[in-house]
Amino acid sequence: MWKRAIFAAIVVSLMGAAAYASLFIAPTERTMGTLQRIFYFHAAAAWAGMTAFSVTFVANLLYVWRRQPRWDALGVSSAEVGLAFITTVLITGPIWAKPAWGIYWTWDARLTSTFVLWLLYICYLLLRTLIEEPERRALLSALFGIFSFLDVPLVFGAIRWFRTQHPAPVIMGDGNSGLNPTMKATFFFSVLAMHVLMVFLIMERNRLEKMRFEVDVIRHELEVA
Amino acid sequence: MKNLGSVFAAYIIGWAVFFVFYVTVARRTSQLKDELDRLRDSVKKGK
Amino acid sequence: MSLLANTGVLLGKELKTEFRSRELLTTTVIFVVIVLVLFSFTFDPLSDEARRFGSGLLWLAFLFAASLMVQPCFLREQTNDTLSALRLSVSDPFAIFLAKLAANTLFLMITELSLLPVFAVMYSVPVVGVLHWLVLVFFLGSLGVSIAGTALSSISAQARMRELLLPLLLLPMLTPILIACTEVTAALLDRSPYVLWKGIGFLVAFDIVFLTALWLFGEYLLEE
Repeated sequence: MWKRAIFAAIVVSLMGAAAYASLFIAPTERTMGTLQRIFYFHAAAAWAGMTAFSVTFVANLLYVWRRQPRWDALGVSSAEVGLAFITTVLITGPIWAKPAWGIYWTWDARLTSTFVLWLLYICYLLLRTLIEEPERRALLSALFGIFSFLDVPLVFGAIRWFRTQHPAPVIMGDGNSGLNPTMKATFFFSVLAMHVLMVFLIMERNRLEKMRFEVDVIRHELEVA
Repeated sequence: MKNLGSVFAAYIIGWAVFFVFYVTVARRTSQLKDELDRLRDSVKKGK
Repeated sequence: MSLLANTGVLLGKELKTEFRSRELLTTTVIFVVIVLVLFSFTFDPLSDEARRFGSGLLWLAFLFAASLMVQPCFLREQTNDTLSALRLSVSDPFAIFLAKLAANTLFLMITELSLLPVFAVMYSVPVVGVLHWLVLVFFLGSLGVSIAGTALSSISAQARMRELLLPLLLLPMLTPILIACTEVTAALLDRSPYVLWKGIGFLVAFDIVFLTALWLFGEYLLEE
């Protein structure tokens, strides 16, 4: 109980510190000015989201191989957390893009594959709600998760190679071609804070999933008795 | 400092997403914990 | 029996089943025609735009049709539990998938090729000169669609709301096929060869990735 509270406090402090660094310590960027500071949040969240989905992929593989419920729990937890992070990426991106480039969205490789990634994991969660039997649900969603993860680089590649004749104005999320040391440090600190937040959220969600499993086991026990 | 509004909006909305996610999970966890305690009592009484 | 022999037998069964009634092919072809006609109402089909948009709409129509066409693939095996019989009859479950995806690829190609003249007439695009390349692109694209469609069909068949679920799962996953095939088809119709080999290479890569994934994980999709 206390360990979780302390961890939560660490998470909040890190996120606060990262925000403070992004807003006040990092120098103002020359071309985009203050607006560029969104980058520290946006790009760091993107990295953490990708890490979360990588965890999902590994958990999916482990479930198919081992069939232990804990991998299914980890899979769904990291997928939901990953979706939360990518949702913030998809929201903060347009907030940044509109003042910077005059448009909310563009269909370049990175944005489009991020959006398709988001859609695929929404489908992953949706699929889970439509299968009642727990082991079947775990297996089928794990397999869908594996296919989805393999698909995303293909989406990225397809757009990179085939839609360059429809040039996008800029690639969002770059922000700094020549990062100065303070900016770099701020960025990596933000990435760290986001990853710690990711771990915390996955652990909390995983705890819920494990509890749910226990409830099902006990219910089953009571029925049989 | 133009666009400061956008920067704050981005941070606040971003944090809000995480906060809503955490609160939803926490609420469901506490509800489930109550149910789990109830069920564990039933099992004890059954024995 | 070897994998190929098993696949051959099962493929024969799939084809025989379909060609007895031809209902899947008929309905799919009519569906694509309807979609193409409806699309044509949304813009001027005889303008220059038609060439740009035409291939995209063609492939979109194919994808929608395919997502409906692969529905019965595993649903059919649930009545009378013929899937268990299939599983028992082969040593390698991958044969079941190979047979079904080969059949689906064939049905898709039949649909696409029979609609190509319709499309060419409706949208005034010159297809004759590049016909052999178009057939190749249709084949590689249809193969990709079938591999993913067959795999996901076995998943959705075991879930609720399966008719709605399968297109939902399949269409985002087929984004790379849609993009690559559209661009290559457009380039072929425009007579610009530059994109062709890139496209073919990409489609081959997609097909290999998904086929390998299906080979590695297929048996789990068919588990009891």
